[in-house]
Amino acid sequence: MATSSRESKERALEKRVADITPEDIPEPKLNWMGRSHQWGTRVKAGKKGMTIAGLNVGYYAEVPEFWEDQTRMPRGSMAGRGGVPPIGYSVRHKHELWADSAGDLYEEAIQRRWIPSSDIPWESLEPLPEVVEKAMCQLCTELCQHANVELETITSWQQQLSYGYHEVKMYLATESFDATRHFEVFRKRALANGGGLGLESRGEVNRMILESKGGWTETVAVLHLLRGVFTHTIYRHGMKFAHNAAEREIFARCLQDKSRHLVYGLDHLKYAINHQDDQAMILEQVLAIGERFVLREMKDPVIREALAIILGGGIEGARTHGMAAYDHLMGDYFRQYLAWCDWLGLSRRRTFPEELKTYLDK
Amino acid sequence: MAVFPSQEWFDQVREVFNTHEEYHGAGGGACDTTFAVKVGDDIFQLVMEGLECTSAARVDEKSLADVDFYLELEPEEWREMIENIKEHDGADLNWTLNTLDLDRDERVAKSVTGDQYREDLFFRFNQTLQFFFDASAKIDTEFGA
Repeated sequence: MATSSRESKERALEKRVADITPEDIPEPKLNWMGRSHQWGTRVKAGKKGMTIAGLNVGYYAEVPEFWEDQTRMPRGSMAGRGGVPPIGYSVRHKHELWADSAGDLYEEAIQRRWIPSSDIPWESLEPLPEVVEKAMCQLCTELCQHANVELETITSWQQQLSYGYHEVKMYLATESFDATRHFEVFRKRALANGGGLGLESRGEVNRMILESKGGWTETVAVLHLLRGVFTHTIYRHGMKFAHNAAEREIFARCLQDKSRHLVYGLDHLKYAINHQDDQAMILEQVLAIGERFVLREMKDPVIREALAIILGGGIEGARTHGMAAYDHLMGDYFRQYLAWCDWLGLSRRRTFPEELKTYLDK
Repeated sequence: MAVFPSQEWFDQVREVFNTHEEYHGAGGGACDTTFAVKVGDDIFQLVMEGLECTSAARVDEKSLADVDFYLELEPEEWREMIENIKEHDGADLNWTLNTLDLDRDERVAKSVTGDQYREDLFFRFNQTLQFFFDASAKIDTEFGA
């Protein structure tokens, strides 16, 4: 009975198909064609190739101060389909995320990418004195956490950033990938030379960054300026005190990536301060709070002792010149941090915590 | 044998840097910056484009305003750095641009404009710049009086 019913339906369908004439096929409307704000665009590749910033010509170069659309509409395309469910982006003002350099930084990031598995001369690793290996692994553990906080922070904000500013979203995607690479390379270093991962950080600054929800600009201030300069400083000193070619290459490569991250941070903060009333005052407050977290975390001896051992070449060396070298590293960090605050026009020197000021002369 | 600093010296280093495959991918790839090297009163402007150093030219002090950053050491320090590079076929950790910049009271990488974006190129392309100077290991250098 069931078979008979199915055969009957199939016969009916065959008959309907056979009865279709060309007149029954609807004429294509093609009314989507020609719906373009600027047709006939022919961008030419420049000296650096066909870059994302180079595409900003004519209508496509108009970056609005406020992005009205709440869908994934690419900037420059035509709105007005109707019925597209809103996504609910919360960061829609240009001053909340923009940096003029974002497109170029994106290009630089993808051109200068590297591969930890094959670009690091892992074969150059040699056994280190046990305490130095332990300290190095502890530093790697800390730097893994710096990297995964950066990754999580940026990715959690990505869905809030409007598509009207795609250069920034694209650049931040590369920064997320850089952070992933840094997590990868420090994990590999910790597990490649007879040691292993160390103690988890207390993570007070990490938590402050991850829980920064006031705005993307405020998050950039703590992630790129307050934390980013610290990580940058560790990379610089790590390269100087590398024990072998692998470590030298790791820190050198990470330093270049981190420098790019800092440029986005500086560029965006400068833009936000110049285009939004009170932004500087807000950032000064945010950073003042963040500096207290840094101070509190510095009371935890783990990273201080690990760095002193690395910089001093062992426990004895840590007691003598290692701790002085640590103080110098922290001095470099705070001097650079305050110099960039000055450049941004952020008043941080007067109320900078007294305990941290003591490092400025070291 | 080229004398450091001189047009001939920079051109010979450029030739090595631009033609040796090992320097191309080294440090991360494409690099675009214009910087200067200051050795006493001698100043040379270098242009990095893509994977090459496309030009080196003697310039005057005023031209420092046109570059992204400039590198300045005492002539004796430049000499020690270049000798160290020659000895080790690349700078050892005490003589990298990064270490020199960290260890001295006055920074090696400087800017007359104070533009942090442009000055930061020293760090963003740090390894490429290091490989440029490391390429000097492959030429013979004579030092002026």
